[in-house]
Amino acid sequence: MSVETNCAAVKDLFALYLYGELSFDEEERVESHLDKCVECSRALERQREVQMALDNIAIEPAPSLLHSCREDLHYRLGEEQVAPVGRRGWWEQLVDVLAGRTNSGWLRPVGALTLVSLGFGVARILPPGTFGSGGNTLMGVGEPAASRVRYVEPASNGRVQLVVDETSQRIISGPVDSPNIRVLLFSAAKDPSDPGLRADTVEILNSNAQFSEVRDALIGALKDSNAGVRLKAMAGLRSFAQQPEVRSALTQVLLADANPEMRTQAIDLLTRSLNQDNPVMGFDRTVIGAMQELLQKESNAYIRQRCKMALESVKASTEAY
Amino acid sequence: MAQKLGGQLEETALIRAAQGGDRDAFEQLVRAYDQSVLRLAMNLLRSPEDAQDVYQEAFLRVYRNLDKFRFDCSFHTWLYRIVTNLCLDHMRKRKVRKEEPTIVATAEGPLDRMDSVQDERAGGDPQRFLFSGELRKRMKEVLAELTPRERMVFELRHYQGLRLRRIGEILGTTEEAAKNCLFRATQKMRAALGDFI
Repeated sequence: MSVETNCAAVKDLFALYLYGELSFDEEERVESHLDKCVECSRALERQREVQMALDNIAIEPAPSLLHSCREDLHYRLGEEQVAPVGRRGWWEQLVDVLAGRTNSGWLRPVGALTLVSLGFGVARILPPGTFGSGGNTLMGVGEPAASRVRYVEPASNGRVQLVVDETSQRIISGPVDSPNIRVLLFSAAKDPSDPGLRADTVEILNSNAQFSEVRDALIGALKDSNAGVRLKAMAGLRSFAQQPEVRSALTQVLLADANPEMRTQAIDLLTRSLNQDNPVMGFDRTVIGAMQELLQKESNAYIRQRCKMALESVKASTEAY
Repeated sequence: MAQKLGGQLEETALIRAAQGGDRDAFEQLVRAYDQSVLRLAMNLLRSPEDAQDVYQEAFLRVYRNLDKFRFDCSFHTWLYRIVTNLCLDHMRKRKVRKEEPTIVATAEGPLDRMDSVQDERAGGDPQRFLFSGELRKRMKEVLAELTPRERMVFELRHYQGLRLRRIGEILGTTEEAAKNCLFRATQKMRAALGDFI
């Protein structure tokens, strides 16, 4: 085999060599040739540059597209009439959770995100220029995200004139405790159009629940129409069940929340905070009243049992007054 | 390793919860993968509308067939089998129609969306910029000329960073066949970009 032919054969393997996809023998052949051939070493570097340049033609989908895909999917999942085979009821799932047979997504939030991408639905609440200082970073300004034709009128020469309202999308990043970021997060936590966004936002807020305004937002999220969002908010308030405003909100959950998992967790939190720091005398009369009321009207036997145990632990009557 | 294992356990729990009918768990599962799915579809099809169609169809198929998922392979592999099949169908149909979806009409005239991608390597050097612009144009052309399978293997290896073994699993072929496919793709690129190498 001539030197020239050898060089050509080795160059054929460069791409796969750079991807680390050659067999041991092939890689050995390339490397032993490179040790001796300066020209091929240079050619390899050029090939490496070209392969890196390929990264520059990759398209990163706009966050607005991802947001819109998620919204559409959420809607279409809601329309799906056929439930997956093997679907089990909430009670069986709840028993699984309580028995530790699963770590359900309800109870085990995936973890806090460090970067929040907010859809235009949130960004639009801010006037231009709100960000860009104070440690926040602004990227991708001016990328059209949504538009709506406001007026149409015929113009000369068969043309038409349109007035279009256009919303721009921005990506903003910053610390969760930054006031500007918080304004957006509080708004996102209430965005009526996207429960997924609300759930992600609540999960992020959970890491800052030591601040009273964040707790207020989480308390607000306890009334969210989506049970997943409410459960996440409940998880964030777990360590603050002794705070009067949290206890009051949990009491409301006991009486008004349609989701049995929410009611069960409310009993847990109210009881746990009682056992740890507030002995019998500290047990709030309102909470006792709520539990007694719940005990009378609750249709779920498991919750009734939990409620009864909680009342008995503070020697309270299991009858409603 | 522990983190990876923890992630797998969490994913397994999410899949089981979704198989049990928990829609929130399903949507969490979607969010773990949907960005890379959309990126794959967008780069292969070069059309936001087609990418959105693939996204919806793929995750709806996953939802409808989740009860059939038996953990014989990773969820990622299973999902990507569905996504790559949908993308290949789109690409094959497009080859027949000879469409060029990257070109969009704008007020300033036809615009290739790929041209709007910023070339960071060009920096402020005009000559380098021209060179990079020309290179980018050639890269675009050669990518469009690859067969759907070559294009798919190249996309999965170069842009999604998957190993050939995994790519073989996804495409229902052997690692060796995937390697041959990638070899052909890179050879075509090398031939087309010869002036730059």
